Amino acid sequence: MRLRLERRLEQRWWHAVAAPVGAVVAALAVGAVFLAIEGFSPLTVYRELFKASFTSAFGITDSLAIATPLVVTGLAAAVAFRMNLFNIGAEGQLYAGAIGGAWAGLALGPHLPAPLAVAAVLAASAVGGLVWALPMAVFKAWFGTSEIITSLMLTFVAQYLMRYLIFGSRSYWRDPESTNFPQGRKIAEAAELPQFGTYRIGWGLVVVVAVAVAVWALIRFTSVGFDMNVVGTSPEAARYAGISTVRVVLMGLLLSGALGGLAGGIEVAGRAHALDPNGLELGLGFTGIVVAALARYNPFAILLVATFLGGLRNAGVALQTLPGARVPVEVSLMLQGAILLFAIGAEIFVRHWLRLVRSGLGPAAGAGLSTAADPGEPVGPAGRAEVTA
Amino acid sequence: MNDAAFVALLAASVVAGVPIALAALGELLAERSGVLNLGVEGMMLIGAVVAFQVGNSSGSLWLSLVVGALAGGALALVHAVLTVTLRASQIVSGLSLTIFGTGLATFVGKSIEGLPLATDFRPVAWEPLADLPVAGPVVFDQDPIVYLTVVLSVAITWYLRRTRAGLSLRSVGESPATADSMGIAVARLRYLHVVAGGVLAGAAGAYLVLGQVPAWSQDGTTSGLGWIALALVVFASWEPMRVLLGAFLFGFSRQLNFYLQAKGVDVPAELLSMLPYLLTIVVLVVWGSRDLRRRVGAPAALGLPYVRDER
Amino acid sequence: MSDGDTPGASAAPPASAPAPGGVAIALAARRVTKRFPGVVANGEVEFELRQGEVHTVLGENGAGKSTLAALLCGLYQPDEGHIERQGRPVRLRSPREGLARGIGMVHQHFRLVERFTVAENVVLGDPAQPALLRRADIETRVAEIGERFGLPVDPRARVSSLTVGQRQRVEIVKVLYRGAEVLLLDEPTAVLTPQEAEALFTTVRAMTAEGKAVVFISHKLGEVMAVSDRVTVMRGGRVTGEVATAATSARELAELMVGRPIEAEVRRGSPADPGTGDGPATPALEAADVRLVRGGQTLLDGIDLAVRPGEVVGVAGVAGNGQRELAAVLAGITAPSAGRVRVAGIDVTGRGARAARDAGLAFVPEDRLGTGLVPGLSLTDNMLLTRRRGFLVTRRAARREMATAIDAFEIKTPGTEAEARVLSGGNAQKVLLARELTGLGTDRGPRAIIVASPTRGLDIGAAEMVRGLLHEARQHGGAVLIISEDLDEVRSLADRMVVLYRGRVALEGPTDELTLEEIGLAMAGVAGAVAGVGAGDGAGDDAAVGSP
Repeated sequence: MRLRLERRLEQRWWHAVAAPVGAVVAALAVGAVFLAIEGFSPLTVYRELFKASFTSAFGITDSLAIATPLVVTGLAAAVAFRMNLFNIGAEGQLYAGAIGGAWAGLALGPHLPAPLAVAAVLAASAVGGLVWALPMAVFKAWFGTSEIITSLMLTFVAQYLMRYLIFGSRSYWRDPESTNFPQGRKIAEAAELPQFGTYRIGWGLVVVVAVAVAVWALIRFTSVGFDMNVVGTSPEAARYAGISTVRVVLMGLLLSGALGGLAGGIEVAGRAHALDPNGLELGLGFTGIVVAALARYNPFAILLVATFLGGLRNAGVALQTLPGARVPVEVSLMLQGAILLFAIGAEIFVRHWLRLVRSGLGPAAGAGLSTAADPGEPVGPAGRAEVTA
Repeated sequence: MNDAAFVALLAASVVAGVPIALAALGELLAERSGVLNLGVEGMMLIGAVVAFQVGNSSGSLWLSLVVGALAGGALALVHAVLTVTLRASQIVSGLSLTIFGTGLATFVGKSIEGLPLATDFRPVAWEPLADLPVAGPVVFDQDPIVYLTVVLSVAITWYLRRTRAGLSLRSVGESPATADSMGIAVARLRYLHVVAGGVLAGAAGAYLVLGQVPAWSQDGTTSGLGWIALALVVFASWEPMRVLLGAFLFGFSRQLNFYLQAKGVDVPAELLSMLPYLLTIVVLVVWGSRDLRRRVGAPAALGLPYVRDER
Repeated sequence: MSDGDTPGASAAPPASAPAPGGVAIALAARRVTKRFPGVVANGEVEFELRQGEVHTVLGENGAGKSTLAALLCGLYQPDEGHIERQGRPVRLRSPREGLARGIGMVHQHFRLVERFTVAENVVLGDPAQPALLRRADIETRVAEIGERFGLPVDPRARVSSLTVGQRQRVEIVKVLYRGAEVLLLDEPTAVLTPQEAEALFTTVRAMTAEGKAVVFISHKLGEVMAVSDRVTVMRGGRVTGEVATAATSARELAELMVGRPIEAEVRRGSPADPGTGDGPATPALEAADVRLVRGGQTLLDGIDLAVRPGEVVGVAGVAGNGQRELAAVLAGITAPSAGRVRVAGIDVTGRGARAARDAGLAFVPEDRLGTGLVPGLSLTDNMLLTRRRGFLVTRRAARREMATAIDAFEIKTPGTEAEARVLSGGNAQKVLLARELTGLGTDRGPRAIIVASPTRGLDIGAAEMVRGLLHEARQHGGAVLIISEDLDEVRSLADRMVVLYRGRVALEGPTDELTLEEIGLAMAGVAGAVAGVGAGDGAGDDAAVGSP
């Protein structure tokens, strides 16, 4: 007897919904085990968690504030990943974008009216991210160098560059007044994204929603987006149709990098108001990859998933200060990880199902015909695989 | 060269290189089977926090090391299930593993933050040899795990090059379809080596608290060593002995800051820290040239799920 | 299943069965049947391989040769009937079990790890190896086997640095190393140069001289006559005859292969109707001395080809003789190394697929879902795949067009916005043709249409419709080039035929004036037929029969 994954003949709408919902439930169950081991009541924690993030106006807006940059890093990952290009360096592109954005805020901000100053920060941050992604994109498009490694390496270089600018040198970005505890210089007030009243969200949220719509429109309505879809899923068809793969790969990776950089600009203009390594090194870029994967690289789903993950992160902070509970903030990170793991595990059941097969009926185990499990094909053509059981 | 501070720097570089080497050797095993695991950082943290707890409650160093290693292996098993059986993206799964491992470790470690660890690994001096200049403190006065790591690197080299099992492993990472047609159990080998990689990452994390700094801290314990290990595997072009040497080099570059500060030399630490990563990119691009890649490049099937085509 | 049937399989002899003449039978298939969903790949096949002989299994593509080989080596298990090794029934559950009984298969598609050395590949997965590999011993034995059977290969060389012919030697060494006494060679010459093929034949003779038996799977008549002792001919999954090579001729084999006497050919229904432009119209599609060299191999070697408006030209040939490359070069996907390609008189050489299309070319590739259509895109978007698109993609017209096509061609799909991946082969082909033939007969329609294996894998109804569409294209003055390995398909559709052999035009002429035998010999690369077009020197004795 063994289990076999088989492609579903019919896909129903609820398969796509059941997978993530089931993942959340399973992750909460696993989280409950660890909570109980550490001596907390899981039900209380979960109730408070929900209340903290999604019931009060301040809770919801705080969740959205964390979600704001996640949307853009999620889009950065989605643009590349849907083309089977694995730019995992949105984190570094975010830092590079923050450097570029902060420069614009410092150098151009004082001389420009408010909306233009903000636009300058955002544009400069996108350029920063794009420049940072350039080596990765060029090496990938022309030499076939793995973008996974180059983007990861460049992330660390960006991180150290940012730290160098603030902690290691008397750079333009560093506040000259801060000597013992070096800090970034505040950007011009005109270059800050305005906030809504006393809430922690502001125009940044509007910007990221607009960017999500723009990315969606780009993919859906432009020839560039069309070509990206073709190159991503069927490189053979792209060749057949005369679409230049090098050009499209280059554009996809650079767009991804620019979006990663934009996330840095939004953080600088919306929240940090300076090049602030401590306030920027939050793993927003890496989390963006997860946001994108959970959203199946759909821009609108990214808005939802980012809000959910933002709420989870926000709740962690809120829980810590809860009277009587004193649950460590890290519980939300653990739950987030557990949900992710279950969600990606459940993903395959949207298109496949498990069937118990009597051994002997299928081809001989370990020696069957295996002609075309081509490395170029992420999911095999037959859509079936043996599962050791 | 007889500068005592410099000798101390070299000796410290060796110790600093050990966890990087262990984690990278583990990642090397997983990647040689064709599975990229970006969860190294998470597995190291879990290994560290578990080893700390076991160490404080049992007082046994070796038990702590083993249990910490197994904890890393358990986390890796999740990755294996997700990527080998359920064909999830190795990248997304690995990143999620790091997020989960970091969250779980810091959550569980909250109660022990700042506590000292009762025991730790101590250097074993090889008496007459330990008194040699330079080589004495650097080579012959280190703790057992240092020597174990060197032995492990040699053993893995030998396993990959000389044994039948190693040949099968390499074939699975290079061309799973060919391996399958030759009767090699692709999924089983991938599971084994991904879990073995997790065990080594867990051991690396355990060593951080048992051998380097006998305390648990949320940010300070790994401080990104897992990511360095990932870079190191590429840097070392998937060869265990190069991983070992590279780990000492990375360890050296991390210790160099302290040395230079002590010497009053003003080289920005951040710029020094960038070097290994930049070097890795250069190495990758140079090796990317077509004819070289054939010999020293990544396992050809790295990152790709294997699905047997059936009629 | 097969377990229960084995003892009952009618005439299973209990022990070793001496063949007529007292020669021992090395390997046999007894009334084996193997079904795949929708097809009987092998139906009650009888096959006997004698000790020390070369026995060819001959047949066209899809005749069931490879399935029989897979059954004989343990890759597949028969649904009915059984396999016998040295007269005893055996159950082979895997190729490894086959090898344990001395049966080794050399696949057409090599199973080698590129980055490994030859020696490493030879012992990969060999259960007989000790846990600790003894490299020197292995290398010595590999070299020894190479010497003994005329398979010179450096055990320390990396496979990635080897030529195709050398790689095949490694595959053969691999099974010999494991003690194979029976070798199954699946289309071994398909990838070889004539010189390499000759060397292979020498190896085969060296093996039989040592008492090994060889099953040779092929559809090339020439080499079959040259190398084998006996021939089993298959057609449609069944055995149509078994003959000794000495007592037969290429012509008789061709008849057995096709399943009917060559004289009584059934001709293509439509009478010669060259369409509108009867005179010396400019060719709509033209290749002039096209050459393609890649990785040191000459894939296309001076091809001259012209398809005029209202004409259907068919390109026939055995797989891997340059058909794929020719299609790619003509469609602008691959730039030729030399020569010119013109579409409707416009030189599009090396200017890309877009330029060729702009000049009036349409191309229906062999791989429908994955190359011709993008599985993950909607039918509407697939309609737009090969079109010129502006900055913005406007779908309205394409959607309407698609909806019309769905009605007109009876395409079974949930709608215009369904993903192409849900289409069956026949429906995918209809969508492709609908796109590629858009505007047929008008100014914006295609002037030249290349179709590869247009009816492969289609059911009768869909195939009929596809033939109808191609016929219609011709009636509208389109120039149609059909490239297919299925000879029947080409012959039933084409006015004029071209046979490719090793990247050259081996034979060319009006379909009505070429005999099946001539075509078959040209496909097989028999010298007489190649020369027969121009000089007609009649070197091959059979080739002369029926020459115009």
